[in-house]
Amino acid sequence: MKNRLTALAPLMLIPVLGLTACAGVGTPADAAATKTLTVYTSEPQAKIDQVVEAFEKANAGVEVKVFRAATGELKTRIATEKQAGKITADVVLAADVPTFESYAADGSLAKLDIENGADLDKKFVDAEGHWVGTRIIPTIIAYNTGAVSEAPASWASLTEDTYKGKIAMPNPDVSGAAAFNTAVWLQEPKLGKGWMEKLVANDPTVLESNGPVGQAVAEGSSEVGIVVDYVARELAAKGSPIAVGYPSDGVPYVSQPAGVFADSANQEVANDFVDFLISKEGQELAVSQSYLPVRGDAGVPAGAPALSEINLLDPDQVKIADGQKAAVDFFNSLLK
Amino acid sequence: MAFHTIEKTVPEQGREFALGVPVPGSGRRNRNLPFRRPGRAWGGLGMLRTVVWVAMAFLVGVPLAALVLQGIQPEARVVFGDPAVASAALNSVASATGSALLATVAGAFLAVVLERGNVPSKGMLRWLVLLPFLIPPFIGALAWMALLGANGPVNKSLQSLGIDAKLSIFGGWGVVFLLAVHSYPVAYLVIAAALRRIPGNLEEAARISGAGTARVLGTVTLPLLRPGLLAAFVLTLVANLSDFGIPALIGLPERYTTLTTLVYRYLASSTTSNPLPAVSAIGLVLLALAVLTVLAQRRLPTGTQLGSGPAGMELELGRARIPVAVLLWLWTAIICLVPLLALASQALLPAPGVALTWENLTLDNIIRASTSPGAVSGIGNSIMLAGGAALCCTVLGLGIALLLTRDKHRSNPALDVAATLPQALPGLVIAVGWLLIAPMLGIFNTSWVILGAYVMAFLALVVQAVRAPMASVSSTLEEAARSAGATPLRALLDVTARLAVPAAVTGGVVVLLTAVRELTISILLVAPGSQTLGVAIFNLQQSGDYGGASALALLVALVGILGLSATAALANRRADK
Repeated sequence: MKNRLTALAPLMLIPVLGLTACAGVGTPADAAATKTLTVYTSEPQAKIDQVVEAFEKANAGVEVKVFRAATGELKTRIATEKQAGKITADVVLAADVPTFESYAADGSLAKLDIENGADLDKKFVDAEGHWVGTRIIPTIIAYNTGAVSEAPASWASLTEDTYKGKIAMPNPDVSGAAAFNTAVWLQEPKLGKGWMEKLVANDPTVLESNGPVGQAVAEGSSEVGIVVDYVARELAAKGSPIAVGYPSDGVPYVSQPAGVFADSANQEVANDFVDFLISKEGQELAVSQSYLPVRGDAGVPAGAPALSEINLLDPDQVKIADGQKAAVDFFNSLLK
Repeated sequence: MAFHTIEKTVPEQGREFALGVPVPGSGRRNRNLPFRRPGRAWGGLGMLRTVVWVAMAFLVGVPLAALVLQGIQPEARVVFGDPAVASAALNSVASATGSALLATVAGAFLAVVLERGNVPSKGMLRWLVLLPFLIPPFIGALAWMALLGANGPVNKSLQSLGIDAKLSIFGGWGVVFLLAVHSYPVAYLVIAAALRRIPGNLEEAARISGAGTARVLGTVTLPLLRPGLLAAFVLTLVANLSDFGIPALIGLPERYTTLTTLVYRYLASSTTSNPLPAVSAIGLVLLALAVLTVLAQRRLPTGTQLGSGPAGMELELGRARIPVAVLLWLWTAIICLVPLLALASQALLPAPGVALTWENLTLDNIIRASTSPGAVSGIGNSIMLAGGAALCCTVLGLGIALLLTRDKHRSNPALDVAATLPQALPGLVIAVGWLLIAPMLGIFNTSWVILGAYVMAFLALVVQAVRAPMASVSSTLEEAARSAGATPLRALLDVTARLAVPAAVTGGVVVLLTAVRELTISILLVAPGSQTLGVAIFNLQQSGDYGGASALALLVALVGILGLSATAALANRRADK
């Protein structure tokens, strides 16, 4: 008898788990009743967690749900949901201006109602009010200090034989910044298709996104990496043998824009969230997360150069938007 | 005689099923059951059968029907013209076949040596060689990546020895190797079970006629083992065809795409706006492959007709005893332990490229990763989903197993197929099926989709766990209840179901422990707020936080090893009584 009871004990546990399971899996229907905000973002999980924590602290009664994925995955998700009838997220924080321009053009984005936009440089704020840039994310050349003594000076230098098989870079199908960069490189007169052919001929390792590229350079499996600068600076701060070089022939950057979907039932809270991102507090948080800020009054992260010292590329965003898909396709065709 | 069979079969079955491994041919065992009363009304049981069939139609029939309907659309077939699909299909078949072959060979060697050989410290070795089975494949992949990184421990040591070998785990060979590492334990379990069923008197006869150990092994034991080897091969083949974690982590960086990673790419970041038709077509092909495999396997001789006899002969290793033992210890060290240590060191170092010294070790990654909101909600979601799946599978699986073993009915073969087919289906097929029906059910983008897919995928674990012991328990108690006036349903629920509950709970616990670490299904069905633990780890890895990913992976590996070992030990103890 006793044996049978012991055998039954786990059974008692299971209904409890089952019941909590039922309670836990909420339906989106109750999202409208409480103030729940769904954010689609490509921010690293730990970083967006901190943002959400700070925002929830400042806005009692709001619960923020985050869906984090690489930009390419977010875009597909948004496209699928649009086709199914309704975008289920309230806020999107990801990618680059061209992506947001296309969302604005097809009516997916609502007009923002924010206060802090006036404090920002105009190039970070959409003139029509659909999006606002939230941090400056330049793509640079990182190198392993154990393997390479001096940073490759420019994009052009990456096509040299010295770097054959030693370069890591993110996959433009997955990383929004990488897709954007591909278009920028193609449109730079000094680089263009010829340069890209030579770069791919140098047999780069194409990793999924920027994070793995930083890891590959830090652990030395690739000696140099084309990667967003904060990834490399953060690893350096933690003690990895990695350093950053800002290419002399120009640094492409994305501004990780934020916008509110027109389908959102929580326009007010969604706007508050976007406003928080570009507020002084939100930007100081971004700086503490190693990002270059879009505000002048939030300081710069440790180890980062002042914006004025970097040769930022500011191409025509409309041209980039039009050329991005063709540029990525061209890059992929070279890989085969 | 009846008692003899119970004693002979129950402990064995308990051991196999406790680890969730189906035994080929067990579906036929119910045919020789004595419990059959032709012409008698089975009041109440009909209701149970209806309920079970409705649940099965919803859980298995609808998703598969949706997949088939969507997959045969003309627009879906366009996908087969895509060269990327052809090369992915080729890679899938090649990597699954190659790894299944390796796994079967390794499993057979280990089974013969560990079940029959007189190697020292057998018990310990048996547990150690099964370790990769207790670790989810994608976590094994993380561990091997840490071990064979360009500046990882192996390449560093080779370098210091003056060898510039630059071993790398990435690419097609790495995928085949890792799939084999993670599937040989299943092959081992299946082959060991088959080996135990080979009666010793045949081997004895051969030996009396003057055959040496090698001769007996080669001419009697191995030929009799053939069905077991084939079953092990088929099982590992199907499992490896559907794995996502290993090809995603090991294959993609070298642009080695398989069907699972291709479907993930289509769903996650496709340039076409509606990837579902294409994905369904690929799913349909995999479904057809799986059904063919299951049908083929059902036609195989099962090797159970050998009857009972004295235990098989002991394999006298003689002078090879010590070298074999050394080989086995090296094997377990290299395949099972060292990758885990590499994973641990990656989890304990603050950043990549930092030298591995005692002063540099820190618990920061483990604390940060396990307390981050993403991980906490992932753990919560996984526990709830796995718990919910375990509950549903236990109840439904118990019902199905009782009907299959205690109530002869012409719909039994169909019920048997419906309950066990999903286990042979790639997780991808199940996920796509649920993805297709989710909008119709109004559960798109919720955790319910994952729950449904989990129940469909893991139901067979409980059915098999209950059916085997029930098939060998005599129905006299139930008959006694019937003569005391109980209705058939009452007798079934009051007597037989109670006897079956411990086995069902064991099956449920296995479901819980399997689902809680699952990745293939949840990565395709994840939605805001329903990120599972597996997806959380995969995302950490993909976003470049190797330290955080390894930290969580290490915890999952340790919990899995302890949990499944404890379940298996408990089940064995119960079965041995």
